[in-house]
Amino acid sequence: MTNAIKVQELTKYYGRPGKGVLAVDQVSFDVRQGEVFGFLGPNGAGKTTTQRMLTTLLEPTEGRIVINGHDLARDAYPVKWKTGLVPEESNVYAELTAWDNLRFTARLYRVPRAERAARARELLETFGLWEKRDVKVEDFSKGMRRRLSIAMAIIHQPTLLFMDEPTPGLDAQSARAIRDLIRRLNAEGTTIFLTTHQIEEANQLCDRVAIIDHGQIAAIDTPERLKQAFRRVQSVEVALEPDGLETSRVLETLNVSLAALPGVTTSVKMGDKWRLYTEDPSALLPRVMDYACSHGLRVVSLSTLGPSLEDVFLEITGQQVGTVRHKTQENGPRRRGRMGGQKGGRR
Amino acid sequence: MKQGWLRLRDELTQAWTVAAKDIKVYYLKPGMLMFGVMMPFFLFFSFSVRREMAVGQGVARLLALTIFFTAAAAGPFIIPLERRLGTYDRLLAAPMSLLTLLLGKAAVGAFFAIAVSVIALTVGVAAFGVSITQPWLLAAAMLLGSFSFSTLGLIFGSIPTHNPGEVQMPSTLLRWGLLFISGVFIPLAEMVPMARAVAYLSPLTYAQDLMNHAVPGVGSLSPWLDLAMLLVSGVLFLIPSLLMHRRSRQLGY
Repeated sequence: MTNAIKVQELTKYYGRPGKGVLAVDQVSFDVRQGEVFGFLGPNGAGKTTTQRMLTTLLEPTEGRIVINGHDLARDAYPVKWKTGLVPEESNVYAELTAWDNLRFTARLYRVPRAERAARARELLETFGLWEKRDVKVEDFSKGMRRRLSIAMAIIHQPTLLFMDEPTPGLDAQSARAIRDLIRRLNAEGTTIFLTTHQIEEANQLCDRVAIIDHGQIAAIDTPERLKQAFRRVQSVEVALEPDGLETSRVLETLNVSLAALPGVTTSVKMGDKWRLYTEDPSALLPRVMDYACSHGLRVVSLSTLGPSLEDVFLEITGQQVGTVRHKTQENGPRRRGRMGGQKGGRR
Repeated sequence: MKQGWLRLRDELTQAWTVAAKDIKVYYLKPGMLMFGVMMPFFLFFSFSVRREMAVGQGVARLLALTIFFTAAAAGPFIIPLERRLGTYDRLLAAPMSLLTLLLGKAAVGAFFAIAVSVIALTVGVAAFGVSITQPWLLAAAMLLGSFSFSTLGLIFGSIPTHNPGEVQMPSTLLRWGLLFISGVFIPLAEMVPMARAVAYLSPLTYAQDLMNHAVPGVGSLSPWLDLAMLLVSGVLFLIPSLLMHRRSRQLGY
């Protein structure tokens, strides 16, 4: 399989090299033709900076980018014809109609005159905007603008599509429609470079993911392989209910009690459930059952979970699985908050 | 890969596409109307009303002011606004050269200036019976003047910022400076030698002189020199714009 993108030792300083802010530090990776490549990282990790360099919007301080065999520093022109960009903010022209936005982009990318109208119509119908084609975009909802922004990015049928956070802030229906579209485009042969915070989205869509942290690539692999590499973040998820009034008091101290069970590294309350991280779920299961029986609690549900991509992401970025945890009453009020990679709470 | 004239054809079409879109989107925006339409008329009436001046001279002055302020208004207004909205990235990522993009943007200001000055000229001819001494020279003056001043505006539009407000201040300062050193309000022939030497630094001086040749028929310099200076300044003004766009690309704007 050939590479759609080859990045070698890409570095970006904002300001003077060595003195400014180092946003991307000697990053190297490949994106294969026809894959959905996820680019994950916390805020400020260098995701958008990297993507802007890949789309010629930002000049690298050092390093080399080759896209479809063309060195971007010397020969970006042929690359641009075959590249589409969906930025984080939907950069559509609010004063124009949806139809005019698409026609403008089609003309900019020199889509043959005879095909412009047909492609614009097809995309508007695909994205459920055909009925609104003559409405100015300033009257569109966020989801509609997002869909139009994606339509504008693909009207010239690019072979490589960059998408920066395509779904955050959208309703579930719009987000699902966009994810379906990503799958469809990929099935038709489009290589997709997906920058996202949505770890589950990356898990569902990406053939491979790169995790970038502090400007450096921390890991690149398939989601499943990454999860395999982090078996220690397996967990048991349990939902408990009190049988009577007295046992309801037990719930108040449940966070501490569950975290104190042998083998539990971290306990995290997730809605009406508790997730207990452990290296050995099978050994923990009977202990949880024993605890519930001895304290008059009814087990509503009990399951074992492998590490999620989110767990892997948190481990790699030093944010540590289970850092959203509950403090005991003695330690202060119950609150949620990150503990910034400290090992506090681990046993 | 597209080569030669095919590439040129594509680039010209793209420049026109950018210009046509901007005309549709921005011409009726309050910022454009204020800086591009109201400003030249306001200045004209401030400095010309109740002063002894032939109608032909008045129309020539109004045309020079209109071309100057209207053409230079587009760049500093549109580009920072597009940078803030993210739509400028769409243009920068498109398969066209930076020069093509800038020429498209320059055309926006130039067409705007030509349209507004044609209205001013029509009013001058219809209401005051002004006769045009050299119509072709007037057309050339409007064309080259609007191009030159539009590329002047691009310099300020190219300043790396997302805030149009940060651009308007230096842009207005420079335009006013070029206006007051030029031969618009004091004819070149009446200037002391030092002031005249300074006036030659302002491209507006040449535009005003051309208008004087074209409308009342009384210019001070050779019209060919005026045309050449406007053309050269228009091309030269593109250089800082190109350099600042490259700088913006390094800084991330």
